[in-house]
Amino acid sequence: METPIEMKRARESLIRLINASIGHNGTPVLKGIDLQIARGSFVGLLGPNGCGKSTLLKTIVGILPVLKGRVEFPEDGRPRFGYVPQRDTLDAVYPLTAFEVALMGTYGKLGPLSVVRRAMRERTRQALTDVRAEGLARRLFAELSGGERQRVLIARALAADPECLVLDEPVAGIDQATTEVIMDLAMTLHTSRGMTILMVNHHILSLRGRADEIIWIAEGGVVSGPADVMLSKEKVEEMLVLGGG
Amino acid sequence: MDLLLEMFSPEFLLWHAFYASLVIGFVCPLVGVYLVLRRLVFLGVALPQISAAGIAFAFFLHTLGFHLYPHQEEEQFMALTGSVLFAVVALVALVTLERRGRGMVEGRVGLTYAAAGAASILFVAANPYGESTLLSLLRGEVLGVSLSQFWATIGVYGGIAVCILFLQKEFTFVSFDRDTAITLGKNVVAWDLSLYLIIGLAIAFGVMTVGPLLIFGFLVVPPLAARKITRGMWPFSIVASLIGGATALIGFYLSLRWDLPLGPTDVAVACVILALVASAKIILGWLRRA
Repeated sequence: METPIEMKRARESLIRLINASIGHNGTPVLKGIDLQIARGSFVGLLGPNGCGKSTLLKTIVGILPVLKGRVEFPEDGRPRFGYVPQRDTLDAVYPLTAFEVALMGTYGKLGPLSVVRRAMRERTRQALTDVRAEGLARRLFAELSGGERQRVLIARALAADPECLVLDEPVAGIDQATTEVIMDLAMTLHTSRGMTILMVNHHILSLRGRADEIIWIAEGGVVSGPADVMLSKEKVEEMLVLGGG
Repeated sequence: MDLLLEMFSPEFLLWHAFYASLVIGFVCPLVGVYLVLRRLVFLGVALPQISAAGIAFAFFLHTLGFHLYPHQEEEQFMALTGSVLFAVVALVALVTLERRGRGMVEGRVGLTYAAAGAASILFVAANPYGESTLLSLLRGEVLGVSLSQFWATIGVYGGIAVCILFLQKEFTFVSFDRDTAITLGKNVVAWDLSLYLIIGLAIAFGVMTVGPLLIFGFLVVPPLAARKITRGMWPFSIVASLIGGATALIGFYLSLRWDLPLGPTDVAVACVILALVASAKIILGWLRRA
């Protein structure tokens, strides 16, 4: 049972885009976006390839600048993001162990020339345990399967002690059973820790019953609403006709 | 064996050259690790050539009456300035263009290599005096390392080793996953520039001491060998450095023993080590499967 304070906090806006244009190298991909993401919500981001889903995520977490308009955060400042990139963007040439990759999540609090402290290693071990990847710690990251790599990347994001977990296509190219494991993991983090989840996902079915809100990008515009409405058969068909998936 | 013991004796005539090449052998692979991981190996061919063009350009300016250091006629210092400037500017420009995804990377690096090679020769040809000094700087005559040059090498490469080892986690993080590093508040541009400055300094100083060929060999071959047998960044860096040091030691010995040119001997030794490591890995893989 949520207390009134918790309910108010849950409705609070964590991220707000106001008339924002987003894109790469000054070229807009999406223009005039107005969007709000509530604290503690699980938001699924849908849309066809190349429509700007990843660009939207990267703009929210600060990797890309907003071209026009603005991104607003609560008065207490920008939330701590735990970013999980598309795993294929990470080069397999690096001889890094899974533990070394997960440990990178703690580097945000580390100044130059500082050494990694025992507490940071402990937090990393805990994060790997939380995603049931403690047995992968000493293996080479490049040699892990897609699902294992994804769990290690989620552990790295958790090691950053995030308020908002941002996942870019975490289940792309992963079999159904592993997709369910990763989606359940995200759901557990959302329910047990009240973590805000923002996830790009092509699997509409895997978002059903998990996401509270859906943002659908189609025809250069953004449509959002409650998941039960946005993922209804009629709405899905309507969005697919509009080129939204 | 006697020759090997003599090399370590304080009375050894070429001790400056021996220890300078050992230090370069140990330190260059630490820097080269990032050229390999960032897939900038091809740039590693062009950069020593660009650095050599910088040396020739500094001397060319001197010939025209433009003094980089008006109250100082020290050739080494002037050459180093030109070498570092050319290497760092070219590295930053080439990497920036690559990141923006404009044009064809191989074409640009190939063009830079050809232009830098031609420029070095033309600048030397335009220099009416000191051609032999300049050519020795461009080739890198490690056997002719003076005492002051030796201590400068120890200082510069010692500093580079300390920086690379202490900042390894940051350099690795921004190289491996730039986007996540940004989300965690890292100033990736500053870290990239610091790394490029270190790479530029290592190449520029090394070109003057041991020449472009050997610098490229030390930068690239030991990390390629180490990558085959290590897991984790620390083991990778340390093993690459040890292979580089072993290469310098064996190369110097063979060069003295059979009166061979040092640079090509060192590169040949590094390639043999790489071949041995690769073969051993393949054989171990077969044995494990059997």
